[in-house]
Amino acid sequence: MIKFASLLLIIIGLYGILSTRNVIKILVGINVMEIGINVFIIAMGFVNDGAAPILSVDNPVNVLKFVDPVAQALVLTSIVIGLGITALGLVFARKIHKKYGTYDLSETGGES
Amino acid sequence: MMINPVLLIAIPLGLAFIAVVFKKLQGWILAIGVAANAFLVFFVEKGETAIGGFKLPFAISLVLDDFSFIGVILVNVLTLAAVAVAFRKTEKYVPVILAGLAGLNGMVLTGDMFNLFVFMEITAISAYILSSEGRKPEQSFNYLVIGSIGSVLYLLGLILIYGQTGTLNMSLMAEKSALIGQAAMVLPLVLIFAGIAVEAKLLPMSGWVRGVLGNSNALTGVMFASVYSSAALMVFGRVFSQVLIPGTTAGVIIIVIALLTFAAGQVSAFRSKSLRQVLLYSSIAQSGLAAALFATGFVFPAVLVIINNAAGKMIMFSTAGNLEEKYGTDDYVGLGGAFVRNMPAGVAFTIAALSLTGLPLVFGFYAKLNVLAAYLNQGTFFVPAVVLAGTIIEGAYFIRILIKLWAPGKEGEWADADQSVGEKKIFNPAGTVVVILVTLLIILSGFLPDSVGKLVAPGGGLLGDEGPSISLTMEKGGDQ
Repeated sequence: MIKFASLLLIIIGLYGILSTRNVIKILVGINVMEIGINVFIIAMGFVNDGAAPILSVDNPVNVLKFVDPVAQALVLTSIVIGLGITALGLVFARKIHKKYGTYDLSETGGES
Repeated sequence: MMINPVLLIAIPLGLAFIAVVFKKLQGWILAIGVAANAFLVFFVEKGETAIGGFKLPFAISLVLDDFSFIGVILVNVLTLAAVAVAFRKTEKYVPVILAGLAGLNGMVLTGDMFNLFVFMEITAISAYILSSEGRKPEQSFNYLVIGSIGSVLYLLGLILIYGQTGTLNMSLMAEKSALIGQAAMVLPLVLIFAGIAVEAKLLPMSGWVRGVLGNSNALTGVMFASVYSSAALMVFGRVFSQVLIPGTTAGVIIIVIALLTFAAGQVSAFRSKSLRQVLLYSSIAQSGLAAALFATGFVFPAVLVIINNAAGKMIMFSTAGNLEEKYGTDDYVGLGGAFVRNMPAGVAFTIAALSLTGLPLVFGFYAKLNVLAAYLNQGTFFVPAVVLAGTIIEGAYFIRILIKLWAPGKEGEWADADQSVGEKKIFNPAGTVVVILVTLLIILSGFLPDSVGKLVAPGGGLLGDEGPSISLTMEKGGDQ
């Protein structure tokens, strides 16, 4: 269920990017997509009634109940990269506004 | 003495941070960084190196085999050439170039699919910032958006394969994915293809190229068309000819897209009037050709195409960027006779154009010959026909440009040097030396193609379909 919800988020984000020419809204779309993919990755490692993947003598847990720690490590990295991209995107948005006085790409002139 | 491959990533990355602190020494730091990397690349230890103290396959690994060796040589030597040709333009971008170099080396060397994503993102961020040199923030933003969509698709494809194979290590993934049914691999493969296609400039993810390369200068043009492009294509080759070998359905999809990229690139180049646009569409076409070869499994000719394109585009984009800067236009009709009083640049540009077209006596001929021989040996005639048709178009637009740039005046009239657009020097002395060196390499390797062939594929592969030896299998370590 979570997997489908996260795929839906990715599609919503993609629609957001494709359906608007506003720079800030496009960045929001990118972020929605990234949240979608991050939730999807976490959902891939999810185990029902799972436990944190830590082996200890005091608290023995069935290894099969461990959630996948790789997926969580990947998501942490992916979130940081997403943050960097968003920050850079906002810098470009600021530059566009400074140069053209608008956040709307359709008002920035020609293609090349 | 052999060094650890991680130094190729660590040195530029460390220097990038140092450059942020010591702003006054940035020029020196950049020069030392790129020169050290271009030198050290020949002393890196071959094999698979585990990073971080974990055992393989749980550790992230760096793989230096014959394939990635070519990749790191291209990346480091071409970055040194790009910096030498346009040193004055690097002023604002020293940390960016160094971080980008670290990312590029990581992309080519890594033996882990998620680590590849991280390095691709580091490279992409440096590329977005470099693209802002074109003074068109909307184009840089467009590039960032396409790149972000590509990276999300790559991650989605990767995680789907991770769900099926349970590993991110390339060698283990190659073994396990071979056991998965073809049908289950089509969607992840297409998603990963879309992710890599952004930097590799393949359709439909190449929408950013016109805006970014069309406004490039001698530095950014060479970085994008030569360095980034070569690394992205080597990664494409690694993933699609060694890790996730496409089955029939995915293979046909990728090859058709790659050939469409080749054809569309050549036709668009023919229709363009601006020098940089011709070159950027030609780059798209060459990427398409290399990708089609990799997807078919022809690693050796694909690597030759990448080397030929990287060397040629290094010369051509630096010339085009400087021409635009000196004369204020890159419409080649308006640059009539620009080479008449700039013999070294003109000769270098001409040799590069001839090599890209694939005429005899230059390296490009050997590359094209191998491309055609690989397909004809296999009994495929459609692809060689497309390649030959593309080559004819390529020859037509390059000859048209060369005639204009060498012979000022109107068609049918006697060309006089006085009619030329001017006699401004295209390159500074260092740039001239670098460009002449690269040109000499193209000519020399045209006369001695076997020596380049042996560098690319020490175990053979000349005029055949055997690729460079690959050591992606952990236990074996050496050649496969």
